[in-house]
Amino acid sequence: MKKIVTDFKLAASIAFVHMGAKLKQTIIATIGVALGITIFVFMVGFIQGSQNYMQAIMFEQSPHLRLFNEVKLSDKTIIDKIYPHQINTLGHEKPKDIFLNLKDGKQAVKDIRKNPLVKTVSGSVSTKVFYRLGAVSINGTILGINFEEANALFNLESKIVSGSFTELATMPNSIVVGTGLAKKLNVKTGDKMELTTEKGANFSISVIGIFKTGLVDIDNQQSYGSIKTVQRFLNVPSSYLTEIQVKLFDLELAPDQAKKLQKNYNYSGSDWKKDNVTLLESAALQNMITYNVAGVILLIAGFGIFNILTMMIYEKMKDIAILKAIGFSNGDVRRIFLTQAFVIGIIGAFSGLIFGYLISYAISKMPYHSDVMFSLDHLPVSFNPLYYIMGFSFGILTTAVAGYLPSRKAAKVDPITILRG
Amino acid sequence: MKVLEAKNLNKYFYNPKKFKVLENLDLAVEKGDFVSITGKSGSGKSTLLYLLSTMDTDFEGSININGSEMQGRSNSWLADFRNHHIGFVFQFHFLLPEFSVLKNVMLPGLKRAAFPPQELEQKAMDLLKLLDVQDQALKRATLLSGGQQQRVAIARALINDPLILMGDEPTGNLDSKNTGLVFDLFKKLSAEKHQTMLIVTHDEEFAKNTGKTIHISDGRID
Ligand SMILES: Nc1ncnc2c1ncn2[C@@H]1O[C@H](COP(=O)(O)OP(=O)(O)O)[C@@H](O)[C@H]1O
Ligand SMILES: [Mg+2]
Repeated sequence: MKKIVTDFKLAASIAFVHMGAKLKQTIIATIGVALGITIFVFMVGFIQGSQNYMQAIMFEQSPHLRLFNEVKLSDKTIIDKIYPHQINTLGHEKPKDIFLNLKDGKQAVKDIRKNPLVKTVSGSVSTKVFYRLGAVSINGTILGINFEEANALFNLESKIVSGSFTELATMPNSIVVGTGLAKKLNVKTGDKMELTTEKGANFSISVIGIFKTGLVDIDNQQSYGSIKTVQRFLNVPSSYLTEIQVKLFDLELAPDQAKKLQKNYNYSGSDWKKDNVTLLESAALQNMITYNVAGVILLIAGFGIFNILTMMIYEKMKDIAILKAIGFSNGDVRRIFLTQAFVIGIIGAFSGLIFGYLISYAISKMPYHSDVMFSLDHLPVSFNPLYYIMGFSFGILTTAVAGYLPSRKAAKVDPITILRG
Repeated sequence: MKVLEAKNLNKYFYNPKKFKVLENLDLAVEKGDFVSITGKSGSGKSTLLYLLSTMDTDFEGSININGSEMQGRSNSWLADFRNHHIGFVFQFHFLLPEFSVLKNVMLPGLKRAAFPPQELEQKAMDLLKLLDVQDQALKRATLLSGGQQQRVAIARALINDPLILMGDEPTGNLDSKNTGLVFDLFKKLSAEKHQTMLIVTHDEEFAKNTGKTIHISDGRID
């Protein structure tokens, strides 16, 4: 045991003398590794940070699962039902003019609220409308909500940029509009405007607030009203709900629960995974790109280590032979060169982590303004220790791979071939 | 007591074509003997010495040193054996250029790790003194003259008190004064410390004064 330690120390001290003699190349190889790790840590941190941010606002605006009623063509036509044993051809079939409401929606909301897995639930009624002011007419949606419920779900209060939601329930025909929509209509809090439903009914409405979620799709075309207001626009009874939105305690259970609830109530439904497929897929793609870029950089860094070691071994061929002649084994010689590889790798990886952190930190303090990520005043960067551990492990792995072949070559040097006069 | 016994040694080279360098060679050396090996250039002296020093493992036959068979041993076993029991001096000095003279001499001892570094350093200094290069101890090895480096290499071969010191024309690059110095040291070590000396030499004067001379021609002992 003691012998192993002294052997290792001796190998290390020889390794350091070798590196000292080739200081410039050693430093260049170390910088190569450091650069690879720096870029990895910084890139992953930055991409993950913005992904996390995007997903956070996205998920804040989307429920874990939704139940709704869908316009669909029944797979069996009336004729098929009446004459089931013959082939019926029917041209130009149209969907029935059904109501989009959920059957017994109010009762369903009450039931779902009792489910122990459910954190919050909100029933709402939404419809397509035209917003009009003077000559401007913009189509969009209006969402009738119970403010308390919807606020618990989506944290609406924090999205207000002017006015408030407080009078939504009490003031008739009052709405809170998205900031993009307000800009297009050129309305401010306190202004009045017109609204036309799909059926052609006209209402005069007052803007009592403006919100901004950061999601262009919502901010440019959506407004909130109370459930009652929207039901009155549609001329439907107070039991009329078009969508139930649910947040669970554990969002991973959403797809499962969505299926169950759909079956129970015979509603259509969806969950956050289905709703955000593109976002999740683009995140996966970004990650892949990051890892590939980092992989290529580390490959180059590994090549740097391989290079310097190979060069060193060719130049030190005679020294290796001498060491063997005085009693160093193949393993001792291998250890000398592996030590060099690992010293380069470990110092490179550590300084890479430090530089990566410093650059990430600097970027995260950089002022940044964006219309989409409006709540940002600086760039989002993730400092998840996992990425630092990964970066370090990649660095060491690269070093091990790059150091292995040259070290083996050194171990195989035949002293007689080299030293024979 | 026989410290070294080689039996039926055969050694081939395959380049450029297969040819036999050593043929059915038998050799026995007593402990404490001062033996010189002579022979024409190309007769196979170096080849024999590389085999006996365990550095060349590609041979037929048996080499027994201090009661242990060398044939078929692993690389690490042989390295360790060499480190403990065999000192080797090449015709050319072969010092490590980045290390000081002192460190060069100490290196086999550091590898052996039987003594603490301070003790080893003292021992190395004593050897350098015996070889009259103690004033060069802290210089880098490459700054010394060829003859000085050669004497440092001899000190290095002696640091672990080897059972056998093998030299391949170790005094070939020394002037007559230093050749005499080295010869006297070898003689003294074999007589007083019973270390065995196995020295290839072209120097007839040197060979004449050793206890025993082995003459090789065409890969055989005559
Ligand atoms: N690596 C080798 N490959 C082929 N032939 C060699 C090799 N080394 C030595 N020889 C040949 O073996 C013979 C003996 O060489 P060597 O032992 O060096 O002789 P000496 O030391 O007695 O001068 C010579 O003919 C030499 O040319
Ligand atoms: Mg020779």
